Amino acid sequence: MRIKISNIINNKDTRWISIWIIGSLSALFWDILFLNKPALNKVVTGFFNTFIIALLVVVFTLVLGWLVTLLLHSLQSRSNKAPYLMATFFLNLIRSVPQIVGVLFAYIGITLLVEGSVITTKAVVMVIMALCISVFIFLELVDLMRDRIDHFTRLDFYSAMRVCGIPEKRVINFDILWKNSRLHILNKLIAVLGYAVFLQCSVDFIISVGLSTDINESALPATLGSLLASIDSKQDVLAIGYTLTHPGYAGHLFFEHLQGMTVAFCIVFSLVSIYHIANGYAERHRL
Amino acid sequence: MKHKLLEHFAGIVFVTLALLAALWVVTVSVKAAERRQNAGMDQLGDLSFINFNSRFDLALLHDAINLYYPGRADRNDSLFNAIVKHKQREFTGRLQNTRVAEKLSWEKSAVVLGMYARFLLIYVLVMVLTYYGVQTLAAFRFVYKKRLAAAPGPSPARKFRRWLVSLLAGSGVFLLFCPAYVIAYSIRTEFNTDTAVFLVLLGVVSNGVLITYANKFYAFLVAESRKGYVATAMVKNLHAEYRFHGAGGISPASLFAPVKKFRGHVFDHIFINARGQYLSTIKEQASFLITGLIIIEMALNIHGYLNYEMLRQLLYKNYSIVAVIMLLIFYTVKMTEIYSDYLVYMDKRKYENKNQ
Repeated sequence: MRIKISNIINNKDTRWISIWIIGSLSALFWDILFLNKPALNKVVTGFFNTFIIALLVVVFTLVLGWLVTLLLHSLQSRSNKAPYLMATFFLNLIRSVPQIVGVLFAYIGITLLVEGSVITTKAVVMVIMALCISVFIFLELVDLMRDRIDHFTRLDFYSAMRVCGIPEKRVINFDILWKNSRLHILNKLIAVLGYAVFLQCSVDFIISVGLSTDINESALPATLGSLLASIDSKQDVLAIGYTLTHPGYAGHLFFEHLQGMTVAFCIVFSLVSIYHIANGYAERHRL
Repeated sequence: MKHKLLEHFAGIVFVTLALLAALWVVTVSVKAAERRQNAGMDQLGDLSFINFNSRFDLALLHDAINLYYPGRADRNDSLFNAIVKHKQREFTGRLQNTRVAEKLSWEKSAVVLGMYARFLLIYVLVMVLTYYGVQTLAAFRFVYKKRLAAAPGPSPARKFRRWLVSLLAGSGVFLLFCPAYVIAYSIRTEFNTDTAVFLVLLGVVSNGVLITYANKFYAFLVAESRKGYVATAMVKNLHAEYRFHGAGGISPASLFAPVKKFRGHVFDHIFINARGQYLSTIKEQASFLITGLIIIEMALNIHGYLNYEMLRQLLYKNYSIVAVIMLLIFYTVKMTEIYSDYLVYMDKRKYENKNQ
């Protein structure tokens, strides 16, 4: 048991997973003690919705990334290069659209679908939101997977396996991507999780602040971003500024402005933790 | 390079045409919906002489309809009601749209272009500052770690200093990962956050741009430092000590200089090779940075700025203006990509003798 705990502490990634969990649980415990129940329910729902969507983004990114990598590889090895050039052309176009703009328009589309009663359940909304975010992120994974395939196809083992009669599909999927690249892929997916949280919170915040609050509240599930944009949370965060010039007020932040403080803390603390987990994982496996 | 340029320009033409087509489709469908809503009303001729607020005029209209279509009182009643409702809708629509409906006139285009010029200026400034910040932070971290590795066993004072540095760095990372809107709202009551200077500052320090790419650059430095040529360079008597002062070390001035040169030191070569790899990630960084700037302008509702204007026009359904702003942002990303590809091309020509 002692060895296991020391392993957790010594490895940066596991250490930061523990810090993230302990930090989040401490915030929850503090909120149970000092935050009113309706606000607490909102924060907990927002936190879970945010991470469910972010995890769905990770799953969709993996599936889309893997499929598109295989598609590009197969198109690239054909003698007719036109389909390959077309595919890369369109993928590069997606790359040139700033993610936030793409996701913002996708969210507006989702809102219209919800208002038109085409989508009726929040679970479906969450799945579609995740899909939309992953469309603007998955190319990073495609780049990584294609780099790995390029690297390994230049080595002797690829030709040797092909000569031995092993189908290319198996060499690419199993030997290169699964056996030799899964650590790299997992590391990228951890980073994707952080980026998904950031994008989602930002878009929800923008929609709630800049577009209509009514639309957002009725149509989209509550997330940390939309919670931060609510008037209560904004007042709480504004209180930090007041504390800068009136340091004596600092104590009030953790009792009277808890909703906004918790939401802001959850967003920033999660982003920092995920960043350290991804870095620590890369360091531990020397990626 | 020619192939890449061709692809970029094809992308620009394609997206421009696609957006214009989408705009045309939206305009046509909105007009068709309006026509459907007003079906039959245009057959009634000019009714502008009627004052729809006057009971007398309304009664006169009702009588006129009954005279014009005699013997169908029920249908005339519903026609009268439909006309009144249509006029009310037209009136409220005009009232609501007086301050929000805008067309893409020459004056509006000039205003949007002015906002775009300001956005470009801010973007270039933030890009230059992050380019400098990324390299400086990564180089400093690399040298600091090397110094730590070479230092003798830590005394209690040194241990405390290291702990203090780690604590400061940890707090700094926390700040660098804060989304811009969290920082801005935190200090909004005490500082004016609606200025271009603050926007530039937020663009550099928030949203994790600086820390993410500094970490990437640091990873390139570490990977380069493990390569065989470093040992060869040391054998050939290049300096390899990382102390800040004295001969053979690295001066803080060179670490913080805008153009970093470490003459006679092996780190010079490590740095040049790492920078070559970093250049190819500039495209990605630029896209991330533009995303950050858009978030800042939209989330802080800063009036008179390009992306807030896009959000506002989107809310008021002035799609022609939204399309133009989107195109301008897309062109900015494309121009950055072209410039980044050019930099990589020049770098490869210089160091790898490649004419791609």
